[in-house]
Amino acid sequence: MAGAGTLREALRALLPPTKEELTLQLGETVERSVVRLLREAVELFCGGRGDECLQASEAILDYSWEKLNTGPWRDVHRDWRRVYAFGCLLKAVCLCEETGDAGAVAAALRVCDMGLLMGAAILGDILTKVAAVLQAHLPSGKRPAPGPAQEQPHEKRRNLRPQDSNLLRSLSWEVVGKFRHSPSEDIAGTEWQRGNVAHPSCIFLPKARHDHVRIPDVRSERTVPRLRCPSLQHFRKHFLVPGRPVILEGVADQWPCMKKWSLEYIQDVAGCRTVPVEVGSRYTDEEWSQTLMTVNEFISKYIRDEIPELKRDISIPDYCCLGDGDEEEITINAWFGPQGTVSPLHQDPQQNFLAQVTGRKYIRLYSPQESEALYPHDTHLLHNTSQVDVENPDLEKFPKFAEAPFLSCILCPGEILFIPVKYWHYVRALDLSFSVSFWWS
Amino acid sequence: MAEERRGSWFGFGFCGFGQALGSGRGRQVHSPEPLQTPGEDADVCRVSASWSYTAFVTRGGRLELSGSAGCAAGGCRDAWASEALLVVLRAGPGRGAGTELQAWAPGSALSGEPLWAHTVGPEAEGEDAPGGEPQAGALPLLPGARAYVSPRPPFYSPLAPELRARRLELGAEHALLLDEAGQVFSWGQGRHGQLGHGTLEAELEPRPLEALQGVPMAEVAAGGWHSVCVSETGDIYIWGWNESGQLALPSRSLAEVGKTAAGEASGPKEDGSDVRTAEGESGGLAPFIAIQPFPALLDLPPGTDAVKASCGSRHTAVVTRTGELYTWGWGKYGQLGHEDTSSLDRPRRVEYFVDKRLQTKATKM
Repeated sequence: MAGAGTLREALRALLPPTKEELTLQLGETVERSVVRLLREAVELFCGGRGDECLQASEAILDYSWEKLNTGPWRDVHRDWRRVYAFGCLLKAVCLCEETGDAGAVAAALRVCDMGLLMGAAILGDILTKVAAVLQAHLPSGKRPAPGPAQEQPHEKRRNLRPQDSNLLRSLSWEVVGKFRHSPSEDIAGTEWQRGNVAHPSCIFLPKARHDHVRIPDVRSERTVPRLRCPSLQHFRKHFLVPGRPVILEGVADQWPCMKKWSLEYIQDVAGCRTVPVEVGSRYTDEEWSQTLMTVNEFISKYIRDEIPELKRDISIPDYCCLGDGDEEEITINAWFGPQGTVSPLHQDPQQNFLAQVTGRKYIRLYSPQESEALYPHDTHLLHNTSQVDVENPDLEKFPKFAEAPFLSCILCPGEILFIPVKYWHYVRALDLSFSVSFWWS
Repeated sequence: MAEERRGSWFGFGFCGFGQALGSGRGRQVHSPEPLQTPGEDADVCRVSASWSYTAFVTRGGRLELSGSAGCAAGGCRDAWASEALLVVLRAGPGRGAGTELQAWAPGSALSGEPLWAHTVGPEAEGEDAPGGEPQAGALPLLPGARAYVSPRPPFYSPLAPELRARRLELGAEHALLLDEAGQVFSWGQGRHGQLGHGTLEAELEPRPLEALQGVPMAEVAAGGWHSVCVSETGDIYIWGWNESGQLALPSRSLAEVGKTAAGEASGPKEDGSDVRTAEGESGGLAPFIAIQPFPALLDLPPGTDAVKASCGSRHTAVVTRTGELYTWGWGKYGQLGHEDTSSLDRPRRVEYFVDKRLQTKATKM
């Protein structure tokens, strides 16, 4: 294991060479007192006064954190997120200056992850690079194999491929959480849990706990049509323009056969990284720290089975080029969670390709024309979420729901479901599931 | 609020800019220390603390700023400090010339031109509503209660006269108003429950708190994301965000560091599951509360009546009728005054003032 000296050098090598370059260009939004504090922190750092720099970094973090929590997230000025990231950078480096022991490095890595989660890119995305260096100085985070205790061979950690890096960063770690019938019932005196700010999905514990997974009999339901590698024109004319769902088969076969995604790989390349875990509902954007954990913690706590090694790589479906936006504007999210994870009925403002990588998902789709029968919440926060529990609806409270027509399917590995914009969808994972969604316009 | 009797001022908390104690940066002050008030025999009637500087106004109209802003000026009746703006009420040049509201950049040392200025008409000065408050010390509420200032756009906002505002407090994203009859109103963002109407919805216009109707309030205070009011009979009502225990309700984040007062919760159990609840006093399980979206009655030790409340961004301070000071909430910079840097989710008396037997008055830290 590398010692403190090499860690220090490696980190210093990532920083700008001069004090003057270790700075942010900030606009009017950031108050002068903060700019002054940032400058002082840099002075302290360059002057070798690590403890005082740490104090100043803490103040920078605490002050900018309050700005990040003021007003809706989309209205938070990017400069405040950059200030926050800068505070994380200084704090992380200062934590490792004195000692290179695993505790300090893990703490510094956690700080970097907070900066990556809540901050914005600074100094050429320096936090990503610092995190990679820190990670290299931590022991490999593999889960011990079951069976008699064995000597763990000291393996060289595999490097994360760039495309995997983006995917891992966008990974949404899902867990079953408490079911909430409606916001108003549970407000006072109950624990509020944060949801993913980017995607307003809620995770529910299935109402009745079965020993065996309840596999819906989709033969009795109208199913989503399936097509094998349709042409772009055919897809556009018959599904994209009229807004009709379809399952695309065989598309994933054309993806390059390269990498195997496995639990071992995820743990190896990201085990010690901190990720936000989606638990409960997004009735409030509660602070991130309440449901943060490392990937290792998430896996040991919630994932019981191995995921079968996957033979496919993941690419953006060609059909996305039919949209208006650039390739950079396509949002790719990965979803990883145990059997039983449920996303309640909701709609998204963009077109969606949901690619199933491993495990099966039961999915129900309702047309936007049926919105009234789906009883969306009337609050601004949740107007794109239905109040109805799809597989166990309260028909006394939501009578029209019984008559609302829908399409359903069981989405299997290798299949891609096209969910038209604003199409209501409900998802339940029948197995440990890994999916990738592509949001585009 | 101005008092007739002379008092001494004490400060504690984040002092990274030497903002009140002249003791250099990087320091935190964990135990109350007397403020070095400007001048000799300066009779300070108003203290307004922002993050990096503090404004003092004396009875003689002298304004002094310490910390990052550092300067002095005359002719000031009231001042209100925020990081983006320093707002001052200055007497006009002659009698009857009215008062001028000026907004300055804090670092400008009040030299040159203000960022903007607004004449508060003489009719506002002449008003003397029954039971009306003295005009100084009411900022951000303006004399005449027809408008208020804010550090965020719109900087100057009118208030409907029928509101009969007596006091106005601003949080990071909400506003509280107390009217002549003791009714509390709130508006702004509601995502942290700080409006107190039982939902997380925003309100564009002042809306009365139905839960408090019929209980006349004497005081109101706003933190960053929480709200407090004190009834005429000395009860405290509190609502909003409890992420650092600033509502004096069990807070999960404090439990995770083993500091919740609500019970024995002390971190993850051996099987790895989180301790999700705290033990209530009766031995039952009390849930953690992150958001309290309608007013809760707060329990101070029996027999104590609150007379004044004040909030920092994530902590709360209350002064009792017998001159005791209680604080709770975020304590990382010593702003609770308990000689440490712990956060608390229950009220604790500041012992410094008990030992010294002093009358106290709460201010923003």
